[in-house]
Amino acid sequence: MKNNIQSDWVQLDGAQGEGGGQVLRTALTLSMITGKPFQIERIRAGRAKSGLLRQHLTAVEAAATITDAQVVGATPGSQSLRFVPRRLLAGDYRFAIGTAGSCTLVLQTVLPALWLADGPSTVTVSGGTHNKAAPPADFLIQTWAPLMARMGVRQTLALNRHGFYPAGGGEIVARIEPGSALLPLQLVERGALRGVQAEAVVAGVSYNVARRELDTVAAAFPEATQAVIELPADEGPGNVLLLRAEFEQLTEICTGFGERGISAERVAGNTVAELRRYLDSGAALGEHLADQLLLPLALAGGGGFTTCTVSSHLTTQIAVIQRFLPVDIDITPISTGARIAVSAR
Amino acid sequence: MKRTVVTGFVGTVLDYVGKGNQRWEKWRPTVGLCQQEDLVVHRLELLHDARSRGLFERLRRDIAQVSPETEVVSVEIALRDPWDFEEVYAALLDYARGYTFDTEAEDYLIHITTGTHVAQICWFLLAEARYLPARLAQTSPPRKKEPGDVSGSVAIIDLDLSRYDRIASRFARERDETVSFLKSGIATRNASFNRMIEQIERVAVRSKAPMLFCGPTGAGKSFLARRVYEMKKARHQLAGHFVEVNCATLRGDSAMSALFGHVKGAFTGAQAERAGLLRSADGGLLFLDEIGELGLDEQAMLLKAIEEKRFFPVGSDREVESDFQLIAGTVRDLQQWVAEGRFREDLYARINLWTYALPGLADRSEDLEPNLEFELARYAREHGSQVRFNLEARRAYLKFATSADAQWRGNFRELSASVTRMATLADTGRIDLEQVEEEVGRLRRSWSSPADHALTALLGDAAEALDLFDRMQLENVIAVCRAAGSLSDSGRRLFAVSRQEKAKVNDADRLRKYLARFGLTWEQLREAA
Repeated sequence: MKNNIQSDWVQLDGAQGEGGGQVLRTALTLSMITGKPFQIERIRAGRAKSGLLRQHLTAVEAAATITDAQVVGATPGSQSLRFVPRRLLAGDYRFAIGTAGSCTLVLQTVLPALWLADGPSTVTVSGGTHNKAAPPADFLIQTWAPLMARMGVRQTLALNRHGFYPAGGGEIVARIEPGSALLPLQLVERGALRGVQAEAVVAGVSYNVARRELDTVAAAFPEATQAVIELPADEGPGNVLLLRAEFEQLTEICTGFGERGISAERVAGNTVAELRRYLDSGAALGEHLADQLLLPLALAGGGGFTTCTVSSHLTTQIAVIQRFLPVDIDITPISTGARIAVSAR
Repeated sequence: MKRTVVTGFVGTVLDYVGKGNQRWEKWRPTVGLCQQEDLVVHRLELLHDARSRGLFERLRRDIAQVSPETEVVSVEIALRDPWDFEEVYAALLDYARGYTFDTEAEDYLIHITTGTHVAQICWFLLAEARYLPARLAQTSPPRKKEPGDVSGSVAIIDLDLSRYDRIASRFARERDETVSFLKSGIATRNASFNRMIEQIERVAVRSKAPMLFCGPTGAGKSFLARRVYEMKKARHQLAGHFVEVNCATLRGDSAMSALFGHVKGAFTGAQAERAGLLRSADGGLLFLDEIGELGLDEQAMLLKAIEEKRFFPVGSDREVESDFQLIAGTVRDLQQWVAEGRFREDLYARINLWTYALPGLADRSEDLEPNLEFELARYAREHGSQVRFNLEARRAYLKFATSADAQWRGNFRELSASVTRMATLADTGRIDLEQVEEEVGRLRRSWSSPADHALTALLGDAAEALDLFDRMQLENVIAVCRAAGSLSDSGRRLFAVSRQEKAKVNDADRLRKYLARFGLTWEQLREAA
């Protein structure tokens, strides 16, 4: 095996672009699907805490379990990792990842592979479901999953219990039915706005905090529907504000997290500003959704979207995808941002 | 991959922040340790007493939630007083002794943030002494700048100082400086000499044991002893004085009193009390040069003084104390002297722990040039005027000084004298070729052997006409004749082997005939002596 490293292996530079973790997770997903082993060097080189962090290791371990992979270098601080998948196994998986990782990032890493497995699977991930450094479970369920369904993916996602940082203890369950090949998707327009919903979630935190957040949202979006969701105190402490904008073609979610030392008004103000920016941009996808849609489109071998900005995450993502899949990805600047087109080579 | 195992106390103060939900908003060192992005704790051994069982259980549950990778183990120990050093140290030592460390498979950390300061000190001592093959882990609360963070940070501290580049390079630099200090800043090139000085530095820094410097006169024994003293004084390892004595100058009755002191009226003429050299050296360094010349009685007293740090001054029935570092110097082969009964075996054993043979200058010819520079600088310092060689002169002097002809019998002392002579005679601060040639002549004359002189006295200029072969032989024959009692005695000694094969001994005749070849007689040799 060693002799073939140069030829058969996909070699990646973990210091390229911005997303050290993103490069790793994308590579894991594509390696699981294509069966190509990969080696990544200089993982997060030059960062204050360089090398693999625990949130990366949780994704590596989940991917390794599902593909019975051989892994070298999966230790905290390691700057080099080798991943050799052996076979993709549908099944019933449980991953307890604590709060050092994120349930949603682990799910996004492993789910695309299980869509293409030869049998149904369930994946239960417990730990943090709502933390600043990752998309919240609500985003995964309400924004990402419906688009995947349009591409032919048959899966259901359920948030059983919230897990806020730092206590964790949340749980998301995904049920996957294997399907036929993914269908291309075009998202050039978002379509007409059907409505804005504001949801303030509190667990072990005063109702008043949720109320103040919603009052701030109401000042900016008077037409938005409002809801306070009070969770049992032992699911906390935690507070999250979700602003959901529903369009004909898609649903976008902006999130704000309550923190000690930051007022409810400021949390809400920042979230409102983020939604405002998205609404004003005119492009179909926001920055985060664009990052997450690219890989499924590449797997489908076609499709495209418009997005407000071409982030360095997106260009890094493109580079990694093209190392595994024979696809062309074109970026065309347009007035509202950029148009991305994916086509099979 | 090695598993990480952490041992630490349940923090009855820091880890206890209440039972309610708000506990998650406070920093708890033991929980924070398991929440680090870049550290996975596979097993956490938490020490606590029976009263803290509830707190332990809460920590175990909370850690399971944030860090499912971590197995939390309860270690119950009974501590009556966690601030009692003796009790805590003993308890932790027992824990360490009873623990099976598998350093091949596991990497050990000691969490020192929880527990009393006394416990922290004990952990530190146990890790430093390697009872615990572990590094220390210190957790710190989150910084105010980062709201929302409750996990704080962790710093791993390895007490093996050599593993820190900056500290290690600083130690290396300080050591280089000390070694250079011991060599008086002379950049010596002789590898074995440099190695020896490096070892002397290590021994001097770490030990108070006696040292023994052997070597020919002028090799720098006394000089080196003084540098060792100055080095140790600068490092606050010695507070007292440097006391130097040449034992060859201590003769007869006064030797005892010079070394060990006496009380008033101890003997005729002892009109006042005398402290003696050993007591003057209290807290300092005593350099006993030519220790082989010390009388056997003094040797016995010295041994007691070294071993017990106590001795009786002459005429006193009360012991006095003196604690000093001893360096002894000798030109003799002390081992031989022990065999001959001239030096006490027990004293030799006591001082023959760190024995260094200082080579003479002729054996370190590569060090001649740096020493020459040193001597020129010393001359300039002492006389307030710079003296330099001109290029040609310098080359000529070095060529001679490093050649086989240069015997340097007086070693560095002789080199120093040689430089002083040339520097004194140099006009306008320049040593030229002429001065070098004169100096080379002076050195050659001083090194010509006494036997050479004898031959010249007997034969005059004819001695110069002899082959070296004949001259060497003749010199030795003359020496034997002069030591023997008669012509026959000389003959017997000179032909001791070949005469046994002869039926009729004729060695006196053989010797007479040999001498006659050079126009000499046995009587002449005796007279000239």
